[in-house]
Amino acid sequence: MKIFKELFQYRELLKSNIKKEIRGKYKGSFLGILWSFLNPLLQVLIYAIIFPYIMRMQMDDYLIYLITGIIPWTFFTASINSGMVSIIANANLIKKVYFPRIILPISSVTSALVNFSISCLIVIGFVAFSGIGLSFNLLYLPLIMIIQYILLLGIVFILSAIDLYFRDIENIMQFFVNMLFYATPILYLPSIFPEKIKWVISLNPMAHIINAYRDIFYYKVSPDLLNLGIVSVVSISFMVFGYLVFNKLQRGFAEEV
Amino acid sequence: MKYYGIINKEIVKKYGGFNLENNSIIVKNVSKQFKLYYDKANTLKEKLIFWKRSKNDILEVLKNINLNIEKGETVALIGTNGSGKSTLLKLMTKIIYPNKGKIITNGKLTSLLELGAGFHPDFSGRENIYFNASIFGLTKKQIDDRLDKIIKFSELEGFIDNPVRTYSSGMYMRLAFSVAINVDADILLIDEILAVGDQHFQEKCINKLKQLKNSDKTIVIVTHDLNSVQQLCTRAVWLYEGKIKMDGNPKDVIAEYKKICG
Repeated sequence: MKIFKELFQYRELLKSNIKKEIRGKYKGSFLGILWSFLNPLLQVLIYAIIFPYIMRMQMDDYLIYLITGIIPWTFFTASINSGMVSIIANANLIKKVYFPRIILPISSVTSALVNFSISCLIVIGFVAFSGIGLSFNLLYLPLIMIIQYILLLGIVFILSAIDLYFRDIENIMQFFVNMLFYATPILYLPSIFPEKIKWVISLNPMAHIINAYRDIFYYKVSPDLLNLGIVSVVSISFMVFGYLVFNKLQRGFAEEV
Repeated sequence: MKYYGIINKEIVKKYGGFNLENNSIIVKNVSKQFKLYYDKANTLKEKLIFWKRSKNDILEVLKNINLNIEKGETVALIGTNGSGKSTLLKLMTKIIYPNKGKIITNGKLTSLLELGAGFHPDFSGRENIYFNASIFGLTKKQIDDRLDKIIKFSELEGFIDNPVRTYSSGMYMRLAFSVAINVDADILLIDEILAVGDQHFQEKCINKLKQLKNSDKTIVIVTHDLNSVQQLCTRAVWLYEGKIKMDGNPKDVIAEYKKICG
């Protein structure tokens, strides 16, 4: 429990690090922070053209279906991309001063969470004006966000610590995240996944999380709470495991960078 | 006491003989080794081609060090290059960890190993004060309270809202030193940075250190400047090839040190 005490003592560092990460990423560009919201929307645009017009996929409100999947997915990829290198990117700090190293991956994931929260307003805007409308089930949104946040913390704790000893993980993860994108019902309906390999989806926590977002935004129903409960147990155990791995490896950080 | 109360009890149990109330730093049987790579084979290609070469040697930098530093002491670590002084200091700050043994610190600790850690060149001096001080574990309110003191000590009133990249190297160091010295830690670890700024500022730093010393802070300094050791310190520890060769009154230790290494 010492970790909580220490994080509380260093809360100002956590805060300024998050701010730096949100502001610093697009520093110098003309549109600045707007890019964090434009990028995923432009990605949506690409799929919204390719699937209905080129692949001839027919579905009602496909654009909204895409947005409600891709925006939460962007939270996932943004956290992993910046969190994985968070230790290496701050090598000079690690060699010079002591501070709880775990602040670095936490700031990466938290800054992605802040961006995602703002993006959710854009999603709500799209849903409201597209004719689908809003429902009280949106009250589940913070819960789903927190579950995803906890899952991401666990993943990023492990990746950021391993990256220092084994740089290849960056390339491996690039492939893995790409693969996971197609193993998650973002572009397609879960029902078109072949029955034989459906277990792939059911083992993928991100699939359940995306489904939950879809339920509250797109279908306007309550999410599958049993599923969500299982995912949160998995996420919390992942975070604890990730913390233990990080804590074990962090002793060697200053010598390895 | 405030911050490490938990460890305190643990220690009393483990090292029954020590009284942490009076000790700031306890170094117990500490050894530290570094791996020496001749040609670190990092990639798969290199590993395959040079697989025979990948053996590495181990350099033992510190060998079974035992050291107690009491509250309020000002201790100088002296010794030739490579004797392990800086490594010992880094171990005390918990930047690196010992291979064997244990180091316990009692109280809030600040290290001035390298000044200006985390300074961002594009941010203003004021913003960098906030960031740098937060790395030392201060909260927003604590920094607010110290801001005027820090700016005044650095003598950079006219430049504090300019980006740090426009500073001269002396100004940069002055700002960094002012932040670090105003953290109000119980233990201050300093590595070779007494030579900050011009003559006037150096004297100011020494005076500030004297003032801290008189206010019962614990200070550990690594330096080659033997004059300031005699001026400032109450105790000198001479490290030689990873072992403590002599420990005691600065005057005696320096005299002996000069005989052999002078």
